[in-house]
Amino acid sequence: MEFLRVEGLRKKFSQTEVLKGIDFNLQKGKILVIIGASGSGKTTLLRCLNFINLPDCGKIFLGGELLFDGSKKYTERELREKRLKFGLVFQSFNLFPQYTSLDNVRLAADLLIKERTMKNKTLRAELLAENRRRAEELLVAVGLGEKLSAYPSELSGGQQQRVAIARALAAEPDVLCFDEPTSALDPWLSDEVLKLIRSLVGRTMIVVTHEMEFARKVGDYVLFMENGEIVEEGLPDEIFSNPKNERTKAFLMRGGNVE
Amino acid sequence: MNVFIEVTLDLLQGFGTTVYIFAVTLALSLPLGLIIAFGAMSSFKPLRAVIKAIVWVVRGTPLMLQIIAIFYGPYLLFGISGFDRVPSVIVAFVVNYACYFSEIFRGGIEGVPAGQREAAQALGMTRTQAFTHVILLQVVKRVVPPMSNEIITLVKDTSLARIISVAEIIMSAQEYARAGLIWPIFYTGVFYLVFVGALTLLFNFIEKKLEYIKI
Ligand SMILES: Nc1ncnc2c1ncn2[C@@H]1O[C@H](COP(=O)(O)OP(=O)(O)O)[C@@H](O)[C@H]1O
Ligand SMILES: [Mg+2]
Repeated sequence: MEFLRVEGLRKKFSQTEVLKGIDFNLQKGKILVIIGASGSGKTTLLRCLNFINLPDCGKIFLGGELLFDGSKKYTERELREKRLKFGLVFQSFNLFPQYTSLDNVRLAADLLIKERTMKNKTLRAELLAENRRRAEELLVAVGLGEKLSAYPSELSGGQQQRVAIARALAAEPDVLCFDEPTSALDPWLSDEVLKLIRSLVGRTMIVVTHEMEFARKVGDYVLFMENGEIVEEGLPDEIFSNPKNERTKAFLMRGGNVE
Repeated sequence: MNVFIEVTLDLLQGFGTTVYIFAVTLALSLPLGLIIAFGAMSSFKPLRAVIKAIVWVVRGTPLMLQIIAIFYGPYLLFGISGFDRVPSVIVAFVVNYACYFSEIFRGGIEGVPAGQREAAQALGMTRTQAFTHVILLQVVKRVVPPMSNEIITLVKDTSLARIISVAEIIMSAQEYARAGLIWPIFYTGVFYLVFVGALTLLFNFIEKKLEYIKI
């Protein structure tokens, strides 16, 4: 049963067409890995799925329902509702520097709770307390139970990215996207983050990565992108052991290097 | 000793005017500066162009000239009397400082990495929530140092009000000089130093308070 379906997604920046019609399906609880050289449009695809950039055309279905149609105009409010369905972990973490780990994780949900409990103060207090507990649990789960009150600047890159993952999980997205989550990290810090992502199996995830070994082991399905198109797709073993397309072969020959 | 007390009281009166010009200018030019900053970042091109031109003129001409223009301009151009002396000075200062502040605000806002707003968005915050809960404090952190410089300059710039005979502290001291008593002129420096010293302490305190934010 397909959970996420993307159809004919296109995105142009001024003159250059960065996504030239992207189609794929993803089943619930599965991990889609996207590989491809730098500039092939991977980040733009994830940003379009999170409606940080708006696709020019194409459709996105989630859970069998049409979530986004490029030919329609949406208000900021509608887009905001749609954004809640997807989560995004950035290459550069983008933690909020003025908040502790705990506050980074609970801020968005706190604001949502406050918005939805305008009148009922008791309910609000209850929900906020529960959100705090949940945020603490998430930080414990990502191995940062000791760092609840640390500011981002007091954490290593790997720890910051783990906070960012906890923060994305706290929003309970239907699909969690990762944009090269370890490419800003030194190799010895990458492992802790990759391990954490592996521990999240069971969630529906899209992972853009240049860690080929990780892609092969963890991915349920792999897309290879080049120049805004999906050039080849398949099961990890097929793609990595027996790529059919010449460009996929060339890319993998270079070790899947980003540059 | 009597003379000293008399001079001090007299200068304090002039200093009252100085502080008044300073305080009113600050209270009005900060919000106006923020509005101009948003105008300068607007996606509406004509508005941006108009604001750019205004900022260029205001920053490109001496404040002294602007004070004179606002005080004498209406009469010279249209034969009507414009503002009184003190309001003239305040209008000139507010417009002038709002333009400088707007550039500081703009730099502060544009300096916050786009990733901050995007992360807030991806987490489902509204634009307003992202601005008030994520961006704003980072802007404050960025603008406090340049802002404190500009505000300290404003303290000293108030002495320009003398050009249209507003009796701020230096003008009060000059009355003594005219009567042959020179030292009060130098004594005014003490007032400025104390005032600027207090402001410096305040800004240091704010900077300390924001030190935990590393950007
Ligand atoms: N906001 C933008 N404006 C203009 N061009 C952009 C923008 N974002 C991305 N691009 C261009 O789109 C192409 C794909 O970028 P990106 O999606 O970041 O690729 P990848 O993540 O695969 O490296 C690049 O050529 C990039 O320069
Ligand atoms: Mg990228």
